[in-house]
Amino acid sequence: MVKRFIEKCYLAMIFILLYAPIVTLIVLSFNRSKSRAKWGGFTFQWYVEMVKNEQIIRALSTTLLVAVVSAVVATLIGTAAAIGMNAMPKKKRTLMMAGTNIPMMNADIVTGISLMLLFIRLSDVVPFFRLGLATVIFAHITFNIPYVILSVLPKLKQTNRSMYEAALDLGATPLAAFFKVVLPDIMPGVVTGFLLAFTMSLDDFIITHFTKGAGVDTLSTKIYSEVRKGIKPEIYALSALMFTTVLLLLFLINKRGEEKKERRIPSAAALRVKRAVYAVGFLLLLLVIWIGYPGKDEEKQEQIVVYNWGEYMDPDVITQFEKETGIKVVYEEFETNEIMYPKVKSGAVAYDLVCPSDYMIQRMIGEDMLAKINFDNIPNYKNIGKSYIDGAKSFDPKNEYSVPYIWGTVGILYNKKMVKEPVDSWDILWDPKYKDQILMQDSVRDSFAVALKKLGYSLNSTDMDELEEAKNLLLRQKPNVQAYVIDQVRDKMIGNEAALGVIYSGEAIYVQKENPDIDYVVPKEGSNLWLDCWVIPKNCKNKEGAEKFLNFLCRPEIGVMNFDYITYSTPNEASRKLLPEEIQKNPIAFPGDDIISRCETFRYLGEEADAYYNKLWRSIKSK
Amino acid sequence: MAKDKLIDLINISKKFDDQYVLDELNLYIRRNEFLTLLGPSGCGKTTTLRIIGGFETPDTGSVLFEGKDITSLPPYQRNLNTVFQKYALFTHMTIAENIAFGLKIKKKSQSYIQDKIKYALKLVNLDGYENRRADQLSGGQQQRIAIARAIVNEPKVLLLDEPLGALDLKLRQEMQYELMRLKEELGITFVYVTHDQEEALTMSDTIVVMNQGYIQQIGTPEDIYNEPENAFVADFIGDSNIIPSIMIEDRLVEILGARFPCVDVGFGQDNPVDVVIRPEDIELVDPEDGIIQGIVTSVIFKGVHYEMDVMANGFEWLVHSTNMVPVGTRVGIRVIPFNIQIMNKPESEDEEAVVPDE
Repeated sequence: MVKRFIEKCYLAMIFILLYAPIVTLIVLSFNRSKSRAKWGGFTFQWYVEMVKNEQIIRALSTTLLVAVVSAVVATLIGTAAAIGMNAMPKKKRTLMMAGTNIPMMNADIVTGISLMLLFIRLSDVVPFFRLGLATVIFAHITFNIPYVILSVLPKLKQTNRSMYEAALDLGATPLAAFFKVVLPDIMPGVVTGFLLAFTMSLDDFIITHFTKGAGVDTLSTKIYSEVRKGIKPEIYALSALMFTTVLLLLFLINKRGEEKKERRIPSAAALRVKRAVYAVGFLLLLLVIWIGYPGKDEEKQEQIVVYNWGEYMDPDVITQFEKETGIKVVYEEFETNEIMYPKVKSGAVAYDLVCPSDYMIQRMIGEDMLAKINFDNIPNYKNIGKSYIDGAKSFDPKNEYSVPYIWGTVGILYNKKMVKEPVDSWDILWDPKYKDQILMQDSVRDSFAVALKKLGYSLNSTDMDELEEAKNLLLRQKPNVQAYVIDQVRDKMIGNEAALGVIYSGEAIYVQKENPDIDYVVPKEGSNLWLDCWVIPKNCKNKEGAEKFLNFLCRPEIGVMNFDYITYSTPNEASRKLLPEEIQKNPIAFPGDDIISRCETFRYLGEEADAYYNKLWRSIKSK
Repeated sequence: MAKDKLIDLINISKKFDDQYVLDELNLYIRRNEFLTLLGPSGCGKTTTLRIIGGFETPDTGSVLFEGKDITSLPPYQRNLNTVFQKYALFTHMTIAENIAFGLKIKKKSQSYIQDKIKYALKLVNLDGYENRRADQLSGGQQQRIAIARAIVNEPKVLLLDEPLGALDLKLRQEMQYELMRLKEELGITFVYVTHDQEEALTMSDTIVVMNQGYIQQIGTPEDIYNEPENAFVADFIGDSNIIPSIMIEDRLVEILGARFPCVDVGFGQDNPVDVVIRPEDIELVDPEDGIIQGIVTSVIFKGVHYEMDVMANGFEWLVHSTNMVPVGTRVGIRVIPFNIQIMNKPESEDEEAVVPDE
């Protein structure tokens, strides 16, 4: 009896572990509040918004298109390959098996990078291989083939070879024998292979990331690009839908297996119904793909390729620009500077506009990757505040390469109910009162910036002694730190889960909207002022178009649209004047000059210093 | 005689991985005969059948069918059908669909096909099984369906590759009679492959004994059993005593130092030969009446007869008899001259006696 009970408990535990995350996701997809820390009531709002969100639907249709095409092609090639391999002598077959298995065992990142390099090389000769949708499909076919072979080959081995010979013997040509006898026999393996390939393709992020061109996004790359600003509830809704679909598919497949076991030959009527169901399903799939691809004659149109942070531009801005100028904007998103850098550097895609941060711009200028901007084409540049243009000099000394886009500070977010004393200094993060109450950024430079500033040093310090001191300071802080996190600071603070957190100013505005007990301060010792600017890479294809878009972005009313959407501070003075009074005066969105003058921007410190920072950071985190 | 030849294999050789499976094989098959290729595994019998069926191409030599060269004709263009060892029924089809397979490919009319299915199922005693699936049938039933599927195409020759190999003894014997009956009713040629000598002796008109890619002997079951041409055949077909001896002169042979009268002539004088004596041909008599004397060393009851070992003149004689002689009894051995079969010493390895593998 007790044993039974323990067994059941164990089983229950496993199921809870397996399904708790998914249940959470599904519940959150019905949460009216945008924050995952707060239950704002039940709603279908996110499902409606998901369907209305053109980007998501487009990504969904791309994902399905890639999955269907690559799975079909891989199934054809893989099945043919399996048949060939099955006919080989054993030694040769084992060798071939090992050969085809390697792409599957290989780390995705290796497959992804090597495919990208191959495509870049090939595209010099055959323009067809320029990174885009086709290359993604090619890459998916490549990694899907082994899965098909792996599921078809065992089925072939089971097949009685004399069945094929019997068909020949009865007068069937080899081709007819294959289609009438061999194929029906291995069909379960072929279907399994197809489903496996389909799922693998849906799942893939890494290989897609490296082989996709500008403007091509599957769901996984789309979701990942939103990491910086936090994943939107629409994505929860979509994920919940996808999970349900997979569940339904699994259920159908299992049901099919049961029918087989009963060893009944299905009646003709049942077969017809089954076929109709499959056909309707397939048509639905095609419909989704079709809806996602409205424009078919985009090829000859003038276009610019824009590479920006995830959720860093109002989609309406793009639509309006396209309508006004007839220039098509191919828009792609990245999640960190470090992910953006190699893609631009490799030259795989010719981007016309990129939006890196301060220190990264310095590095790109240093490596001669950027083109000088012709400011005659950007009369609206005059709207950018002088102080920001001066600030940009720290990484672009002559203001030749960059146009400031978004900026902000790093400061302390605190819960007024939990922190009764006034907050104005980094010192509070070391106060033993707040043991296990503080959230720090999980990023080397951000964490060191806090310690270095508290010590009164520059946050670009490369002095070993100063860094050693900062390291010890951070080590001492560890008992106070609840966690080193990235975008969870926001949700945890909204949910009253921590008293203090280090965060970007833009996020602070959003948090305050959700939880009025929260306040934000830039400590008096000074902090990081960061600036994301538009730059034009040297290998761009349409510099004039890029400059047209830059000029458009610098328009006052466009700046306002973006501010409303992103909630991060704008360097555009003309835009700021159009904002409501209370926002103009909001010290979080627009801190006074006294605060800005205490702040510093990050600079690229060189590879050696970077490595040293990382070494110290590891030693902190490992203790 | 030549007109009677349906299939003619001329100088057929076939190598797998540099090893000869068939070496310069010559064989013809007559119209309407039941011919069995008999031999241990690896003797080349299945390869011979597959060459006839078109599933293998010989390296050299040619295959004639009714006088026409069909050596390079693919299986689906040959007017013969095969029944495979593992039945090879199409598992995703019903029994009726299996039987109709060949006819549908030949674009026969629906009513013709239906008639044929009925007829074939009746012939193999499985009427009413049309809508079953292959894996719902027993091994014996599956084999009958395989036969039905082959014969509806009205082939001139039916090739059978160890079709009863997977069945149990009782079913095997039943199916043997079934096959003989079918052969009678259809009036076509059967080429049958087996390693079971009893099966071969029961059903065949002609037996071809093969070993290591060579034909050892061709003959009627009686010829093969009673007058094996070499030690291999003697040993492979039934039990036998094979004793090295010396041919003294015509009609007299010296076996283990004792002289036995026999009926064979033409083996020279004082010439070493092998003698074959079937165990049931040995008479155990009182010691003084025998040509040589020995002691019974073991007795096993086999149902129809007793199997006894008799040690005499340094050789262990195998004896089958319905009369039991207790172990330890001194006995005399006698063989009537007609039952002593003289053979030349083997000239090559493949003619030597082997333990047949079952």
